[in-house]
This record gives sequence, C-alpha cells and structure tokens, in this order.
Amino acid sequence: MSQLVYLVPLFPLIGFLINGIGWRRIPKSLGGVIGSLAVLASFCVSLGIFFEVKDPSFHGPVIVQLFEFIHSGKLFIPFSFQVDSLSSLFLLIITGVGFLIHVYSTAYMHDDEGMVKYFSFLNLFVFSMLLLVLGGNYLVMFIGWEGVGLCSYLLIGFWFKNRDYTNAAKKAFIMNRIGDLGFLVGMLLILFNYGTLSYQDFFGKLQGAQPAGISSDTYNWIAICLFIGATGKSAQIPLYTWLPDAMAGPTPVSALIHAATMVTAGIYMIARSHVLYTLAPMTLHIVAIVGLATALFAATIAIRQYDIKKVLAYSTVSQLGFMFLALGVGAYTTAVFHVMTHAFFKALLFLGSGSVIHAMGGEQDIRKMGGLGKKLRTTQITFLIGCLAISGIPGFSGFFSKDEILAAAYAHDPVLYYLAAAAAMMTAFYMFRLYFLTFTGGFRGTEDQAHHLHESPAAMTIPLIILAILSIIGGYVGLPAVISEHHALGSFLSSSVTNISEHHLEAGTEWMLMGVSVTLSVLMIAVAYSVNKKPNFTPSTGLAKILENKWYVDELYDAVFVRPIQNFSAFMERFAERKGIDGIVNGVGKSVRWGSDRIRLLQTGQVGFYIFVMVLGMITLFALGFFWVKL
Amino acid sequence: MKAIIATTILGIIMMFAGIMAKEKKPLTTLATILLVILLGVNIWDLTNTSSLAPESLFNNMLRIDRYALWFNTLMTGCTLLYVLLVGREIQKVGEHVAEYFALIFFILCGVYLLSCYNNLLILFIGIEIMSIPQYILAGSDKRNLKSSEASLKYFLMGAFTTGILLMGITLLYGATGSFNIVSFSFLQSDHLNTLALAGILFIMMAFSFKVSAAPMHMWTPDVYDGSPTAFTAYMATIVKAAAFFAFLRLFQVSFGSLSSHWTFVLAIITAATLLVGNLTAVFQQSVKRMLAYSSIAQAGFMLFAILAVNAVAWQGIIIYAVAYSIATIGIFTVLMKLKDYTYDGFNGLAKKEPLLAFVSTIFLFSLAGIPLTAGFMAKYYVLQALIQQGSLLWLVIFGLLMASISVYYYFRVIIAMYFKQGAAELNSPVSGTDKFMLVFTCFLVILLGIFPQLLLGNI
Amino acid sequence: MKFLLLAVDQNTPFNYFPVALQLAIAIGFVIVMMAATHLLGPKRKTHDKLANFESGIPSVGNARQPMAIKYFLVAILFVLFDVEVIFFYPYAVNFRELGKDGFYAVLLFVGFFFCGFFYIIKKKALEWED
Repeated sequence: MSQLVYLVPLFPLIGFLINGIGWRRIPKSLGGVIGSLAVLASFCVSLGIFFEVKDPSFHGPVIVQLFEFIHSGKLFIPFSFQVDSLSSLFLLIITGVGFLIHVYSTAYMHDDEGMVKYFSFLNLFVFSMLLLVLGGNYLVMFIGWEGVGLCSYLLIGFWFKNRDYTNAAKKAFIMNRIGDLGFLVGMLLILFNYGTLSYQDFFGKLQGAQPAGISSDTYNWIAICLFIGATGKSAQIPLYTWLPDAMAGPTPVSALIHAATMVTAGIYMIARSHVLYTLAPMTLHIVAIVGLATALFAATIAIRQYDIKKVLAYSTVSQLGFMFLALGVGAYTTAVFHVMTHAFFKALLFLGSGSVIHAMGGEQDIRKMGGLGKKLRTTQITFLIGCLAISGIPGFSGFFSKDEILAAAYAHDPVLYYLAAAAAMMTAFYMFRLYFLTFTGGFRGTEDQAHHLHESPAAMTIPLIILAILSIIGGYVGLPAVISEHHALGSFLSSSVTNISEHHLEAGTEWMLMGVSVTLSVLMIAVAYSVNKKPNFTPSTGLAKILENKWYVDELYDAVFVRPIQNFSAFMERFAERKGIDGIVNGVGKSVRWGSDRIRLLQTGQVGFYIFVMVLGMITLFALGFFWVKL
Repeated sequence: MKAIIATTILGIIMMFAGIMAKEKKPLTTLATILLVILLGVNIWDLTNTSSLAPESLFNNMLRIDRYALWFNTLMTGCTLLYVLLVGREIQKVGEHVAEYFALIFFILCGVYLLSCYNNLLILFIGIEIMSIPQYILAGSDKRNLKSSEASLKYFLMGAFTTGILLMGITLLYGATGSFNIVSFSFLQSDHLNTLALAGILFIMMAFSFKVSAAPMHMWTPDVYDGSPTAFTAYMATIVKAAAFFAFLRLFQVSFGSLSSHWTFVLAIITAATLLVGNLTAVFQQSVKRMLAYSSIAQAGFMLFAILAVNAVAWQGIIIYAVAYSIATIGIFTVLMKLKDYTYDGFNGLAKKEPLLAFVSTIFLFSLAGIPLTAGFMAKYYVLQALIQQGSLLWLVIFGLLMASISVYYYFRVIIAMYFKQGAAELNSPVSGTDKFMLVFTCFLVILLGIFPQLLLGNI
Repeated sequence: MKFLLLAVDQNTPFNYFPVALQLAIAIGFVIVMMAATHLLGPKRKTHDKLANFESGIPSVGNARQPMAIKYFLVAILFVLFDVEVIFFYPYAVNFRELGKDGFYAVLLFVGFFFCGFFYIIKKKALEWED
C-alpha cells in the first residue's frame, strides 16, 4: 500500500485539474461531487497506508521516489515521498477532516457563482498540503509549503470583489512569504553545510559524527531559520496577524486551512525535524517562549472580540501557541496529539459557526445573535461539545492533549505551567462567552433574521455530528500516564518521533495539576455564564478597549513597517526612478540618437572620401596590429 | 566537384535561353528548374563524399569536405528560395532577364569556389567570379542614375580592394613561398615574420571589405540602396555569407594557430562594425537603407565566429548564414511589394495586408534575434563560440548592447505597420503563390528557431 | 646606426626601416624638386604656349567628346578575344608533349570560346547600326 502513496496527492490534483479547467462549464453540484470524491479517494488510500504503518511488521520509513527532480553536479534532489507513522497520521487528519469539510462546503457554497472554482482551489490546497507532509526532503516540503500559501491567498480572496477581502488575502500571502524566506534560508543552510535535503540523509548526518568545519551554532541557525518559516505559516508572534484577517474567506476555508491543516504545517515541520531541534536547545527555548507568549497574547485578544469567527481565529492562534509550547519543551508527540484533537474540535467549531452564519444570513457579529439554540439544536449541541473539548473538560479530547502539554510544561519548568494554565483558563472563558452569547438568552438580531433562522441542511449537520463524535473520542488514543501506561498515539509515533525524555512526574503531582486546570476551567465557565447572562455592549474603555483593538498590533506594524516602506518606495519612485533610472534610460536613448546623427554624416556619397576613410582605417589597424601589445 | 561545373554550364544555358526566348516569364520558370537541378547536383555531391576524408582536386587547388558541400547545398537552397520569392521582381528590373539569372549562376560558381578553395589563387578567382557579376547586377537598372552610380562605386572600390587582396597574397607568398593554405611554413613555428603578418592583415582588410565591416563598409549603404532591390536582397545575403565562409576558412584553417597576432585587430574591426552599423541604422528614414546598415550590423555578429577560432564557430557561421539570409530575403520581398520604401510607407500595412505584416514581423524578429526565431539561435551560436574562446568577453557584452539597439530600428517597422495610421500602398497585388512562399519562409524561420540542429545534423 | 644593424638580424618591423627611409627620401626629393622648379624657373605665359599641341595642325573643337558605347564594346570584345589567344602560345610550343589530353583541353577551351562568340553574334553586339 505504501508504494501507492503517490495516489494520495494524485486524486486531489486530478480533481483540481478537472474543476479548474472546466469551472465555467461543469454544473455546481457535479463540481462539488468531483471535489469531495477526490478527497474521499485519498482518504481511503490514506487509511490503507495508516493500517499498514500501524502493523508491527512495518519497519522504518518507506521512501518512494517518483522521479529525479534536480540533478546537477553533486547535488541530487529526488522528488520522493516518505511514509512513516508521522506522515501517515497527518494524511489521515488532512484527508479525513478535509473530506468532511468538502461535504460541508457542497451545502455551504451552494448559492455561490464560483462554486466549482472554489472546489478546484480546495482540491489544490489538499494536494499541496499532502505534498507538504509526504515529501521525503525539505524541497518537496517547500513546494507544498508554498502551495498552501498560494491556495490560502486564493481562498481568502475568493470573494475578491470586496476590497477588504483581497487586502486580507494579500496580507496573508505577504506574511507567509516573510516566513517562507526564513524557511528558504534554513534550507539553503542545510544544503550548504550537509549537501543534502533528504530527511534521512540529513538526520543521519546529524546523528553521526559532527563533520569538520560545522560548529554547533550551525544547528541553531538552521533551526531558527526553519522556525521563522513556522511562525509565518503557523501564525505565531510576530507573524500571526494574518490569521484573524484570513477569516475573510468562506467559513469552510477557515475551518480547513486556518484551523485544521495549513497552520499545523509549522508544527509538523518541527516535529519532522525533531532530531535537529533536539540538538539546538537554545532554539527550543525560543520556540517555547514564543509559543507561550502567543498563547497568552491571543487569548487576551479573543476575550473582547465580537466577530464569531475572529474569536475562533484568535483561539486558533492561542492553541497553536500551546502546540509550540509543547514542541519547545521537547514534547513532540504531545504537540502532534494536540494537532489532531485541535483539528477535530476547531474544525467542528468553525463549521458550527458557519452553520450559525448561514442561518443568520451572513451576520457574524455575536452582539446581534443570542438564543439561537432553540432553532439550531444540532448546531448548538455540537458547538457545545466543541467548546467543552477546547476548554479541557475531562472526558473530551481537548482535555487529554492539553493536559499532556501542561504536564510537560510543568516538568520542564513550573513557571511555564502557570502561564500556560492562565492561557487555558482564558480559553475556557472566551469560548463559553461565545457560546452563551450566541446560543442562549434572547435574540438580538432583526425581525427578518429571526424569521429566516433555520437549521442547516444535512450535508452540513452530518459533518458536524461526525466531528463532534471525534472531538469526544479523539482524546482516548493518548490517555495520561496516571490512568494508563499505554499511550496509543505515543507508541504509534515512536518509530518516527519521540519526546525528549524528562523526568517523570509523580502520580500525585499529575493528579494535582489535572485537578487545578479542570477546576479553573469550570470556574471560568461559570464566570462566563454569570457575566454574559445579561449581556451589555457599552463601548469599552481602558484595558478592554486595548484588547478589543487587539493590542494595536496591526497599527503598530503599520506604523513601524508598512508606512516607512511605503514612504520609502514613494521616495524611490519620485526621485530614484524618475530622475535616476529614467534619466539613465532616456540618456542612453538620446546618446544613441546623437551618435547616430553624427556617424550618419560620414556617409558623404563620394567614392574618394570612402577610399580615403578605408586607407586611413587600414593604416590605423596596421599600426595597431604591429605595435599594440600582442594579445 | 560536379556543382562547380554544373553551375557554369547551367549559366551558359541560361544565357542562350535568353537569345531564344521571346517572353520573360518562361525564363524565370527555366531558372527555377535549373536551380532545382543544381540543388540536386549539390545533394549528389554531398551524398557521394564521406565525412571523414577531405578530397583534394585539381592539383590540390580545391579541398572538398562536408562543411563546404553542406554550405554549398544550403546556399543553393537559399538561392532557390530567393528566386521563388523575388523571381517576378527580377523580371521587372530590365530587359535582360536571362542574363540576370545567368549572372546569379556565375555568382554561385564563385560561392562554390570560395567554400572549398585550398589555394590563395582560387580564393582570388572565386572572389572575382563572385564580385564581377554583382557589379553588373548593381547597375542592371540602366535608366536609373542611382543604379549606375551604385554599380560604378561598387566596381571602383571593389577593384581597389582586389588590389589589397592581391597585395596580401603576394606578401604571404613572399613570406612562405606557397599559395597553399594548409602548407604555409609559418604554421610550424610560433615566430611570425613581418611580411606574413602584413599579408594576413591585408587579406583581412580585403575580406572586411567584402563582408562590409568597418572601416571598409562605406560602399554598402550606397550600393545596397542604389541597386535594384531584387539584387540587393541577393548581394546582402548569400554573397555575404559566402564571403564569410571563405573568411572563416582561411582564418581558421590557415591562420588559426596565429590568432594571437590578429585577434586584436579583428576585434577592433568587429566592435567598430557593430557600432557603426547599429548606430547609423537608427537614424535612417528609408527601410531599404536601414536594412543596408543592419546588414553591416549583422556582419559584426558574424565576425564573432571568425574571432572565436573554434569548432562552434563553424556551426555558428552556417546557422547565421542561413538564418540571416532567409529572414533578409523575406523582408526584402515584402519591401519590394511596397511603393514607398520609407518607414511611412509601412504605415497601416497590418490593416491592409495582415499576412504581409505578420510575416515581416516574424522576419524582423529573426533579424533582431528574438527567441523562437532562427535569428536568435544564430546569435546564440556565435556568441557561444566567442564565449568559449574566452578572451573577448568585453566584445560579447558590447555585442549584446548593440543587439538591443538593433531592436529599436527593427521594431520601428513593426510599430509603423501595426500602430500607425496610414494607407500603405502596394506596387502590385500580392498573389497566392507569393503568400504561400512567404508563409513557407516564415515557417522555415520559426522551424530553424526551434530546431537549429537541422542545419548541423548533416555534417 | 648600430641598432639598425642589430635590427636586421631579428625579424621585426624594424627590418623595414630602410624601406621607410627610402620612401621618405623619395617623397622628399619629389617635393623639393617641384618646389624648386616652381620657385626658380621663370614663367612666361603666351597664347601659343598654352594652346594644345596637336602634331602641328591647328586644333579644331573640343577633344573631350563622348564616344558611342558601341566603340567601347567592340574594343573590349577585341581585347577579350585577343587575350584569349595568348593561351594558344604555350600550347603551340609544346603541343606534342601534351598529347591527347592537351588536345581535348584546348578543344574544350575553344568550345567555350566559340559559345561566347556565338553569343555576342546572336546578341548583335558587333553590329554597328542599331
């Protein structure tokens, strides 16, 4: 089965080509079916691969080389895929969640003109993401890496007639490109120092004897460069601002790209390169700090947001911060675990919010909602499950993964634990604030909207239900050590990635940590309930206002980077370009004409003069030929 | 070497046909048929000669190898294309149509001699056989003063250059005691005596005149402009290509090992040629005169091959010769259809005759060296040859700069055709055959731009 | 003068220094002579002295009249055929040694020759009147 791995990205590619080429002619429903089937087919193959990898008889990663990609001198980079437990798990998440979102989209996008085009982009996205996780070397990963950036641009700006949306798309693309530059530099550093980009060769060389002339600083430099790439793609400080703006795209896109898959690319990349990061403890430290800071920072912002999708977006940023924290403390499998559970419940939450927006006729402001639970029963229940999962209530998937992260943080350094617990606390608060404001209380929208309220069609609710079930049971693959010795996910992943072993926490400590975080979460839910029972939306002041305006980070970036660059380019345009470059270009043209005008006059038409010039020229050339320094 | 004999006999047949024939049209047809026969003879020669051993004829006066035969075949093919394209224009030049064709056959005889000479005397004879018919053709429009002027100028300056060539040959003979180009005694030693160097430089000057390189280029605009356009097209292409082939043959086979002595002078000549040709072409008002200057400029690029002195140079000169010939013949054919030879005469051609405008655009692209046309490949090969040679990178850069200037004056024609208002007037309606031939030529230009190896595969 | 002698041994442009010297002397001599005659000689211009001298007969009209092109044509054709006959001299001297091959070669030559002759007759190049 693993030899057939090329089929996994092939199906979405075919779907993309069919829908992309014929998007004007293919009927909408057919386009949706083609797109969904393509992903379903990949899912089936992925399932087969997953079970093969899971089998104890499976040994080590399988490299499938499709063709020689770059072969120039000593440099040899094949276009190859690597199948192991890590990539097969990601395959399942991408194609599985991806398929559900495709199905959901068939209903959600049904009224849109460009639905077929939308599905072609969605397929292209899945294709790129699959390339990213399947690649057997950094270059193939980079192709996917850039591919998802492109698709993200296409899909955020899908409703390109709205200027703000296209700006959001551009912002996402540019932020990603800044990160990609780091990734590219990291890749070149690897190539320069080790002469290979293949994971196997590179990690083999890292684990072997340190080659002469490569200092241990090199590890840190490579790791930091790659991490910069990850901050772009996975929306970490300082490059996170694109993700909330990316909510301009259709909601299923937000669910697929900005929650479940694309943003986890950075996590995947670091988990994939764990050999390198383990050798670079300083970088790991940075990763942990950046992750924790992002988790806290985004959580504070999420508390005061009123756009249903913005809240979810900041919560995504915050959760990604948790994952980076896990990576930073060396708990790689834990991070991957959280990626998985997060994919389930965040996709669920986004799709649920999509269902709400669908019902509200495009309204996204939670101040205008309220009491929707009566009409949208399925949505309400599934959304509640999602909220419980993300808040870390025992029994739901988020509890297991988040608790593991907190435990790992505590084992590393208790300070990290306290801060992370605070972030988790805020998570519970803003998620339930969102829940209560949306689904309980009285309806605050217009009469029209009230009439229009309806539960979404089955194509939307069924994925919600499936995701809700997954959000509950998804966590049981990784039970805490105090409950069960057998960590299913950990042992599955152990063939490709393992945690840096910390000293084990004592059972009592772990129980205590769990109790603290659960208590805090429940407490916060209660607070959220009491605060939002009687919602009041007076203009906020002080800290609340700062939070509402997202700490003014966008304004800060605008003032520090965007404006100066714009001013500089205006200056260049006005002076360097007009006067300098144009002057040179026009000057060349003018001098050519001037010279032409002079040389032309030599052509007098008189044979005598011609012969005179000939003789003169010959004498000169003879002089040159005889007396010039011989070449 | 059947082709040399064949072209002579065919030329004589053509002359006598002129006595018999009462009308002009059958003569063109006859010339076409005879050229097809000549092409057949060339191919026969080619298939009979093995690529390995060059054959020596007439007491080692001629040395025939595959390069030479292939070049002859290509040039004959180009001549055939030329007659097919401009045959009707030749009829219009004057009364003596048969003689014009006969002279073209004699020119071909000179071309053949120049491609396979092994002896400086044959070189001299070849150049004269090739040149004298041109003096006549230049003046063939007897009632036109400019034509006569062109003929006389060409003859006077040509005679002057013949003197220089003979001087060079004499000096070389004095230095080495031989006319044979592969057995010069100085080839064995590094030490070059002054007589021989002077001889080489004299011969170089004479060749520079024939290929219209600066400072011996002054005749070119006047002669090309004054001659009947039909013959300008021939003089500027095949004749020039043959002169280049002879130039390359002598300077590579014979003087190649001494290149350090003459490279610098030739590099100066090349740079001057590129500069003068391109700069002067910018300011011209007549497209015909612009093409004359452009032929000087293109000669500058072909000189790269001679400077390079390596294997790529042979390929470069062959591709360049064919690419340049085809495109120039094509653009001259279009030019002949027009009443007004100035840029303004092209105004609005695209609306009136879209096909004519389109094919000329392709020809001009090729001359400017835009990719996917034969001209690009030609420039690519000669530049590559020079880059391989290694010591003249400044000239490569200079050449590229000049090539970019050339785009300006070539594109002026395209701009006139497509973007200027006006009613371009035609001399005569364009017939179906003309259109077919033009499209075919256009096709060749693009084909060779994609598969330049077609021109080299046979060697 | 020693460097001149040394230069002779080597094969350099200096070998030709004597030639340049000779050239300079020749040109200098001409200039000096012309200048001297101009400056020293007495000048007396009379009508008789300036008149064209034509075998003692008084000159009639302008000598620079355009000739008919036919005149040149006939003259050139005469020269052509006349010069070609020169090729017969070497053949006549040793036609016995050249044997059959020589005979055929000359026959071919005469054949081409005849073609040309036939051509100019047909072209009416030798008819004086149009």
